[in-house]
Amino acid sequence: MKTNEVKDIIIRLMEGDEPDEGLLLKLREAGADYSFSEGFTDRVLASINKTAIVINRESEFLRSFSNVFYRIALTGIAAIIFLLISIYISQGTISFDSFLGLTDANNESIISVLTEN
Amino acid sequence: MQKHANKYKEADDSELVKAAIEGDSNAFGEIVNRYRQMVARTVKGMLGDTVFAEDLGQEVFINLYNSLSGFRGEAKLSTYIQRIAVNLTLNEIKRRKRFFSMFSRTDDDEVIEYNVADDSDNEGKRDAREVVNKALMSLEPKFRIVVAMRMLQGYSTKETAEILKLPVGTVLSRLARGQEQLKKILKARRYENQ
Repeated sequence: MKTNEVKDIIIRLMEGDEPDEGLLLKLREAGADYSFSEGFTDRVLASINKTAIVINRESEFLRSFSNVFYRIALTGIAAIIFLLISIYISQGTISFDSFLGLTDANNESIISVLTEN
Repeated sequence: MQKHANKYKEADDSELVKAAIEGDSNAFGEIVNRYRQMVARTVKGMLGDTVFAEDLGQEVFINLYNSLSGFRGEAKLSTYIQRIAVNLTLNEIKRRKRFFSMFSRTDDDEVIEYNVADDSDNEGKRDAREVVNKALMSLEPKFRIVVAMRMLQGYSTKETAEILKLPVGTVLSRLARGQEQLKKILKARRYENQ
């Protein structure tokens, strides 16, 4: 098809509410059409699989991270309970003072400890 | 894979979407096969026939895959894909425009990037695709998209309005102005070639 003919078709295709199917076909047959290269679909699927693998790895990492955090938290809670029990056994009470080891202390003894006199 | 892919040849879009959401890559492969040319016409029509347009085409389908679970079937699958393609392409054009504006002081850098006025090769050597490509690249993006929809996809004004989410009147006026621009561009080039 001659270039001028192609140009005419281009202009005529813009007319009206719907394009002329015959002109559209002519233009496509003349080579004015686009397509992706060979193997496009496979490349798309490979990209999707690759992304899915990365997402799986990330979620696996997050899962194992939260497992580790859970274990540390449990160990911490157990340590706090153990500490409270040992305070109760040694001091006979659980209060803020007993937690700080201040149940037997009076003001004079604290001052003497602090001033080293 | 080919064997499984054939199983979906006759399937309608909703069946394919359902199977793809359930993780069947063959179903999604069939969706890609079915709509790859439509996406190519939009992306390459807007950006030119480049390797970069191929990458953007892939991105369109990756976006589709990621948003497939949100597809409620209110619009046709083709319209949904076309919207993704148009949005990604327009974003890319805007990104390029920003990039080129950093190095250029002119306002119409988009036109400069695809300046087609220098047709040094002979008219006889150029094929129809080249004429279409150059004509499209000479247009402003807002006209280019409606012209590409009509010229390459064969969409009616109503269909174009639906895809671009624009009023029909706007599409009509852009089409008319695009046609005017095309007439000038093609006429000028015809004159240059004589």
